[in-house]
Amino acid sequence: MQENYLAKWLNNELSEEELAAFERSEEYASYQKIVRASDALEAPSFDMEKALADFQASQRNQETKVIKMRPSQYLMRIAAAVTVLFIATYFYIASLNETFSTEYAQRTEIVLPDASEVLLNAGSKLSYSERNWDSERNLSLEGEAFFKVAKGKKFTVTTDLGTISVLGTQFNVESRKGFFEVTCYEGLVSVTFQGKEQKLPSGTSFLVVNDRIVPTEAPLSSEPSWVNNESSFKSIPLTYVLSEFQRQYNVTVETKNVDLTQLFTGTFSNTNINLALQSISTPSQLSYSLEKNKVLFYAENAP
Amino acid sequence: MDNVCEEKVFNAIFKSNSKTIFNYIYYKYGNEEKAYDAVQEAFVKLWENCAKVAPEKAKAFVYKVANNLYLNVLKAEKVRLKYAEKAPKNSPESPEFLMEEKEFKDKLDRALNSLPENQRTVFLLNRIDGKKYAEIAEMEGVSVKAIEKRMHLALKTLRAQIDGI
Repeated sequence: MQENYLAKWLNNELSEEELAAFERSEEYASYQKIVRASDALEAPSFDMEKALADFQASQRNQETKVIKMRPSQYLMRIAAAVTVLFIATYFYIASLNETFSTEYAQRTEIVLPDASEVLLNAGSKLSYSERNWDSERNLSLEGEAFFKVAKGKKFTVTTDLGTISVLGTQFNVESRKGFFEVTCYEGLVSVTFQGKEQKLPSGTSFLVVNDRIVPTEAPLSSEPSWVNNESSFKSIPLTYVLSEFQRQYNVTVETKNVDLTQLFTGTFSNTNINLALQSISTPSQLSYSLEKNKVLFYAENAP
Repeated sequence: MDNVCEEKVFNAIFKSNSKTIFNYIYYKYGNEEKAYDAVQEAFVKLWENCAKVAPEKAKAFVYKVANNLYLNVLKAEKVRLKYAEKAPKNSPESPEFLMEEKEFKDKLDRALNSLPENQRTVFLLNRIDGKKYAEIAEMEGVSVKAIEKRMHLALKTLRAQIDGI
């Protein structure tokens, strides 16, 4: 019998002699029975149409999955938006003004990017844009400050009351409610007040009280007195003097029977409150009382 | 030139091979679900590679994918094949004969289950699906002679089991 004759037998490849010999063998009946029973077997049912439909559906799902990748695109969009927002915020913050301010009874010194120096008096606020500094030296000021401007491009200080432009000089600006004073200590300062420009040579002042330009004399010093811890006034209504006093000592000032429009000429110390009170009250013929953070000025002949 | 990527060509390949793949994997591992998945997986792979697979190679490709899918995963599982019930014929046979037949079939089932996987697969592909040895050889990636050997051994083992030798 040849090799693998059972396989050959199933495939009808046995020779006649071989087949005859095999059929005579005792196991032949068994084999026949097995084969017949096997041929009766059937594989579990397989729904080919369903399989193909499933396949196509899964392929479509694959495609939907590709579409579902769009949430990541969506995320990318959010990420892009967030990035843009961050960058915008960064530039916005970068373009925001650098701001310095002083409380009452406080003074601060600021060095600007071009090495110009600013001395900020009590109760004042100064701001400028660091980003645009190289193209234009622009500052805005509320209150009082003494500027020592380094030489360079136009240097502009904007206040509520007027604008001061210089090239390189030293000057003092005080811009308070109803009170605007610019004093030039060196170089040339240009002051614009109510649309009119005025040149201020070294050693001159420009004073506005209650929207009226008041002629004033040139200071004798080379820097404002407050830089040396004194507040000086020359024919200034008492109300502004008392305001300055409040700022320098952080106290509340009250008055009783006092003419606040009377002009005050003099100087008070910014470091010794008792000395300062005397400096104000004596020439004005006023009395005062000091209680904690409260000062009351009253006319001497009043009860 | 026919291209497997063309839906018509692809579907034709699917229709002519999916059932055989299903049976092939089922005979091997005795798991209908896995066999069904193997069909899906094989054709997903074919679709993905449709540009690279020539139509005449597609058949061998899908068998190979299906075969490789469970190669290392399902080998150890014990097989318990079930077969679709053929519609009972109104046979004139006596109840004794039917009992005997049933008994014999159970024996055959057990014998088939205990056959080595490659012998069982070859045997059933030939007996149930009517696949020629050459076709099975192509599916299994072996020579026709190797298939004949498996066939021979399968039958021999079955008989030895059933006759209790």
